[in-house]
Parts: sequence; C-alpha cells; structure tokens
Amino acid sequence: MSINEESFAADKLNILDCGRLKFTKEKSGFMTLETDGKTYNKVNLTRLQPFYEKTRFISVNYENDEKEFIEIGVIRDMKELSDGQFEVVNDFLEYKYYMPLITKICSIKENMRGSLFVKAVTTAGDKTICIRDWYRNFKLIGGKYLYVCDVEGNKYYCDDVEMRLDKKSLAAMEMFT
Amino acid sequence: MNLKTSFPKGVQSSEVLFSLPYDLNDRAQPVSGHLCVTDSEILVYLNNELKSRYYIDDFSEFKCEQLVGSSMMIGELKSGESIAFCIFRQQEFLRYAELCKLLDYYARTGRLITETPEDEPCCPKCGMPLEGAKECPFCANKTGLFIKLIKRVKPYRKYFIIALICTVFEQILWLIVPNITRMIIDDYVTPKNTDWVGFFVLCGLLVGLAALSCIPNSMNMRCSFKVALNMGKDLREDVFAKSERMSLSAVTKKTAGELIRRVSGDAAKLESFVTEKGKDFVVQAISLIALMAILFVMNWKLALLTVVPIPFVFLLTKKLFHTMAVRYTRVWRNMTDHDSVLHDILNGVRVVKAYGTEVQEIQKYTGYSLKAARACVRAEIVWYLTIPFAEFVMTVGNYLVLLFGGRLILDGGMKLGELVQFTTYVAMLYDPIRWFIHIPKEFSDAAVSASKVFEVLEDESSLKEAENAVESEISGEIELKNVYFGYREYAPVLKDITMKINKGEMIGIVGHSGVGKSTLINLILRLYDVTDGQILIDGRDIRSYAQKSLRSQIGVVLQETFLFDGSVLDNICYAKPDATFEEVVRAAKIANAHDFVTKLPDGYNTRVGNKGYQLSGGERQRIAIARAIIHDPKIIILDEATASLDTETEKQIQEALGRLTEGRTTIAIAHRLSTLSGADRLAVLDKGKLAEFDTHDNLMRKHGVYYGLVMAQRRTTKMRGQKQAAEV
Repeated sequence: MSINEESFAADKLNILDCGRLKFTKEKSGFMTLETDGKTYNKVNLTRLQPFYEKTRFISVNYENDEKEFIEIGVIRDMKELSDGQFEVVNDFLEYKYYMPLITKICSIKENMRGSLFVKAVTTAGDKTICIRDWYRNFKLIGGKYLYVCDVEGNKYYCDDVEMRLDKKSLAAMEMFT
Repeated sequence: MNLKTSFPKGVQSSEVLFSLPYDLNDRAQPVSGHLCVTDSEILVYLNNELKSRYYIDDFSEFKCEQLVGSSMMIGELKSGESIAFCIFRQQEFLRYAELCKLLDYYARTGRLITETPEDEPCCPKCGMPLEGAKECPFCANKTGLFIKLIKRVKPYRKYFIIALICTVFEQILWLIVPNITRMIIDDYVTPKNTDWVGFFVLCGLLVGLAALSCIPNSMNMRCSFKVALNMGKDLREDVFAKSERMSLSAVTKKTAGELIRRVSGDAAKLESFVTEKGKDFVVQAISLIALMAILFVMNWKLALLTVVPIPFVFLLTKKLFHTMAVRYTRVWRNMTDHDSVLHDILNGVRVVKAYGTEVQEIQKYTGYSLKAARACVRAEIVWYLTIPFAEFVMTVGNYLVLLFGGRLILDGGMKLGELVQFTTYVAMLYDPIRWFIHIPKEFSDAAVSASKVFEVLEDESSLKEAENAVESEISGEIELKNVYFGYREYAPVLKDITMKINKGEMIGIVGHSGVGKSTLINLILRLYDVTDGQILIDGRDIRSYAQKSLRSQIGVVLQETFLFDGSVLDNICYAKPDATFEEVVRAAKIANAHDFVTKLPDGYNTRVGNKGYQLSGGERQRIAIARAIIHDPKIIILDEATASLDTETEKQIQEALGRLTEGRTTIAIAHRLSTLSGADRLAVLDKGKLAEFDTHDNLMRKHGVYYGLVMAQRRTTKMRGQKQAAEV
C-alpha cells in the first residue's frame, strides 16, 4: 500500500467479511481474532449504536502496545457469522453490555431531592432501582428507548416502552420522562 | 472498604483475607460465585465449589476493567498473559477496584495490606453513599431544609420582626371591623335609632380603622422588601461563591445553564418564599387561631358547622403536595434543559452562523421552550382542577351558618347584627385557610429550588485547605515523588511518576494524546489532589500551601484562551488587579501585545467582546501571555500554547514565550515536538508512566519512546508534504 493509499484508507469503513473471521474466547475475558492469516489478541467488540442495534455494526478493535486504538473493521450484521461464531461474539457482547430489560414498572417514588425509587420487574428479577439525579439517569431516548442507570452504575433498559410496557407502567413513568 | 462481604459455603471468614461475590458468567448468565484471597492465593468459587486457584506471586498487575453493563477483575501474569478471574455487575465494582489496588500494591512492593478502611458511610434510609456529607442530602428532612433557610433571615431579624408586628397589628385592626358593623346594625339600623351622632362616630371609626391600617401596611412592605432583597443577595452570592470554590470535577459535572439557574432562578424563588411565606405563616396561623376563638366564643354550635368541612380540605391538599412536588421537579428539569440549550446556542453563535444552521437551532430551542411550557401547564393544571372544588367544600360551612343562623334569628335566639358579624368572621377565617391550602403548591415549588441550592451549598467536594496552610514565596523547584492519580481512584491515569524539576529549568512533557500530560499539569496547579504519592514545591508538600498563594505564583497559558468580557486592560490585570499601568504595558510588551493594542482605536480600553471574539486568535493568545506574566510567576505552565496558530503568529508568540519563561521554571506541553526545542529536558509519558526523562539529544540517541514519537511525527510531516505536492 502506498503512502497515499494508506492515508486515504483511514476514512473508509472497513466492513469485515464474516466468512473469514474466527473468534475465540481468551482467558483475559476478551477475544482472539484470526483473519487472513493474521492473529489479533485481546480484541474488543463494540456496539456502534448500543441503544438501537445489538447485532449490527459491531466494531472489532484492539489496543496496540502504545495503547492506541486500532480498529480492524466493522461487522455489518452478526447474522452473517456462522452459528458458532455468532454465539462466541454474542456472549461477549451480552456480558459487556449486560443490561436487564425492564418488563414492568410497578411504581415510582421520588424523594423530592432528585432521587427516584423505581419498583420494576426486570429480566434479572424484581428490583427496586435507586436512581440519583433522575433527570440524567432515567431518560427516554428518541421517545421510546428507556435508559436507566442506578446509583451503583448498573444499567437497565427498555428498548420500546410503547410495545413492551403495559398502560400502568407507562402511566407510572410518564411524569418522570 | 469492607472486602469481606460474602463467603462461599464452608469457607470461614478467618480463613481468607478478602472475599467478594460475583454474579455473572462469561455468557452473561446469572451465577453465584465468590472470589477469595488468602495471603498467597486467589481462589475462585462457582456455586460454592472451588473452580480455579492462582498464586498471587505469579502476577505483575491487577486491574478492574469496567465494561458497559458489567466489569471484570483481570490479572496480568508475569509471562504477559492476562486472566479474567470473574465478571460482576457494577454494584461490586468499587470493592473489586479496591481489592485490585491492594493486590497491585503487593505486586509492586511485596507488602500485602490487609487492613482496609471502613465502608463509606451510607444513608440508612435510601442506602446511598453520603460522600462526605453529614446527612443524606436526598433524604434530609424538608422541614429542616426550610429551617436552614429561615436561619438566613437572622442578620435582618430586626426588619423581619418589625414587618411581622406590623402585619399582626394590621390583622387586629381588621378584626375590630365586624364588631363595629354589628353595633351599627343592631343598635342603629334594626331599631331605626336616629341618634346620628353615635351612628356617625361608628361609621367614622370604620373609615379611621381603614386609614390607620395603611401605616403598618406601609411599614410592613418596606421592611419585608428589605429582608427579601438582602436575603436573596446573600443566597445568590453564597451559591455563586460555593460553585466557584467547588472542585473542578464537581463543577464540570454541571452544565453552565444548570449553575446559572441555581445561582439566579432558585435563589430568587427562595428569597420570595422565605420572606413572604415565612412571615405570612406566622400571621396566618395567629389569624386562624384568633378567629376560631372568636367564633367559638360567639356561638360554638355555629362555629362547629363552619369548621366541619375544613379537615377534608386539608386532607385533599396534603395528598396533592406530593403530586405537585413531582410535577415541579419536572418543571425544574425542563427549565434547566431550556437554560442549558440557550446558553449553548448563544455561546456557539459563531459556529451556528458559520454552518448556517440558524433555523435548525431555532427549532431546537423552540422544542425545549415548548417542553418547558408544557411541563409548567401540567404542573398547574392539577392544581387548578382540584382547588376550585376544595374551595367549594371549604365554603359549605358558610351556607350552613346562614341556614341555621337564619333560623336562630327567626326564633329570636340571635340578632341580625350578630349573624352579620359572625358571617364576616367566617369569611375572614377562609383567608388563612385558603392560604394554608395554597401553601403546598408554593412549598413544593420552593422545596425543589431549596434542594438544588443546598446541593451546591453543602457540597463537600472542594479541595481541602490545610489547617496551617502556608503563604510563602516559592522559588520554583518542583519534585514529584511516586505520584499516582486517577479522576476515579480505581482507574489511575498517572502511575508512579517520580521526577525533579530544578528552579529555572524548562521541561517539555510529551506523549500520545490521552497519556496524562494535561492531568500532570492540573496536579501541579493543584486543581486535583494526587491519589497517592507527593508533589513537593521547594521541598514542601503542595497540599500544605494556601491554594490562593500557590496559584498566584503560577502563570498559565492554555491553547484555548479565555478572555473575559471587558477591556484589554481588565484582562491583563486579571491576575493582579492592583497592577500599575506601567506594569500592564511592560507585560504587554514582553508578550508582543503592546504594538497591536496601540493600533486599536481605544488602545488598552478596547473591549475584547464576549470571550475575546473581537480579537484574532494570536492577539488573544498574546493578551493571555501578558496576563500570565503580570504577577511575575515563579512557575510557568504552557499547555499547547501555540497549537492553533499559523507559523508567522507562532513565531511572534514563541518570541514572547521565550521572554516569559526566562529564568522561570517552565513546564510546557506541545503536540508539535519541534516547539519544545528550547526545553532543557523532556519528560516522556507512556501508558500513564514516566518512560523517559532526559535531554532531547540523549533521548534521540537512546532510540526509545521519544525517538519513536519524533520519527512518527517526521513521517506524518513527510506524508503531508507529498500529498500537497501531488495536489499541486
């Protein structure tokens, strides 16, 4: 690759050919990627649009010895991966972005000092989610994605409040979003 | 921090040094596991069974990797391989981070600390950490909050008491009126008494009372106004002063719009609430008791009829209080968003104009404005739908009094004048009751503002001044001893930095972006305190200096030059307000600013405009240099001071900087390594550590990190040259 080609390659989105990717789990919790005869260790996967697309546009990247961010490329759609590879990649993303889904909001109490106590049913069980600075950490993004971050940094979500939550839940959260 | 919170079955507390739970496996499924540490091993249990065993001595580093929704504890083996011990949700993150710190310390020093400090105290009610506060700011008693506010009236209590006495006196005057009305009706109107003298005396008394009430009313208004203005002023000043003193990290968490709202909007709301409602509370409570007593003395049966509906009304408004509070918090949030957007757009007006996005920004602003207006409407609508009904229920008693009072008159048990007097008192009684019905609305609104104001006033995040802080002149010798720092303690940005900078020496700090160069400067400026280690200036810990004294001896020139709206003179004098004009000109000359300032029509009195936008980038930078030099600092800090300038301007600035740094200890950061050619030595940061510290020549000979940086930069410059040549 000439200098010019190299410098212009930077502005191209390198979509990876899923058929040529082989991910394996590392003991470090990250992944090893083998592609086109090259091996990359401690590979990190990042959802480029974590709120909207869980399995599309996944950045495959790593940090070099100088701690520089190097992007190997982007997986356009994880469906293009083989079943086994899909599982390996999905497992990593699922724990990296571990967020229980809120399926019901039973009640919300506000303590008048910026904190909310949300009694909710989530995929991780029934929770009383304690939220400080609720106007920052209990947000409806784009009108339908509920983003919740509790006082301990645990995150919860509901990707489509209109579709997933019942009327009672919607009524409970209406005043706070 | 307690690092023994949960144990696997069969493992006793005495058998391990630390034991923490983890709750996720590597497929994001919930599990029940434990990580235990003994004096030599790390034991990982899954479902109470030992899954893996590691020797601590095999590891060179431990860290907590915070992912998005979970975290991992990772150890790096001496062979270079990394091991993830366990995955857990964020509630365990701080404990694991503390554990990693202890194990990491052991890996570095061979000393394993087993005694850990107590857990950060938490609020017993909501469980949230107190973060240095005496009581949970979120669960604090709301009445206590208002008592704190009322205490702020103390310096003006004389005026407050006068206002209170005047109001009570005025109320007493009005209490006499129904009695005179009764006398007129019963003694003159009903018996058709033609004793005109007595009649006119009573009528005159009514007029006289009304006229007399003007005096206390006027005094009351005057004193109340004085208290309100002064208390509001104090509150605004305190909130502003506190927000200025807050640590940089605490301030940067809040948007400018949010802080402006707290300083002006919330303080103003509290000013009127405390002075008006605080005084009225006393007056209305006295009126209520006095009127009730009069009514019961006059006719206890009719009085009972009057008060029967009142408890229901109070119950209803009590219920409303919480609903209103939530709605007002929403109003606050929307108004803050509105203010922040407004502040943002107006500050970025040059960008808006440059990109021609005025319509887009107008639409954006309209959206926020509409949202704020809707929130206000929704807050008020509940109130206005409920209160007319509550008022109707409250006045039912009046109709009952008329019904039964009328029957009493017909039966001869009561005179007409007495009934008129009674109903007038009843009508007067509704005033304080109405006031008490409306107070939850005002109280909710003010409570939201009070909580926001006290959140700032009671912030404990400020950098603490040492008890016997020293105010001494420094010579400029700086020493860093094993300095560790992280914006979050568990994630160090700088690790084990040790270096000594001699008096008058110029040091260049180089390294990749994000490596911690600006952080290092922030530590020397003591905008943050080190997490571990020490920074010494002239052999004395930086924390023992009075902050004001220290910063007054350090001059700073940053890449983003911020000038305050004022004249060129004001901006140069900023660090030394008592500087003479000769000193200002001298500083401007050293900074190469004098010539261009002289050419300006208003000379040193030229207004620089908002953020100095009426001047060019180079001109602003030269004024910043003059500002840095005027107080004759012993240490100069240059953070990318010439990064955004063209070559010609940079030459002039470099010239000015050369004069500025002469004989002073200088620490400079520059992305373009050529800019640091005048540096005596270069500190090369790599991965948060001090990788190299030597002269340019020695570092080039060494072929290390610095050599790599120089070569990379040369390649980039060459590439740019080739590209430009190809385009030509």
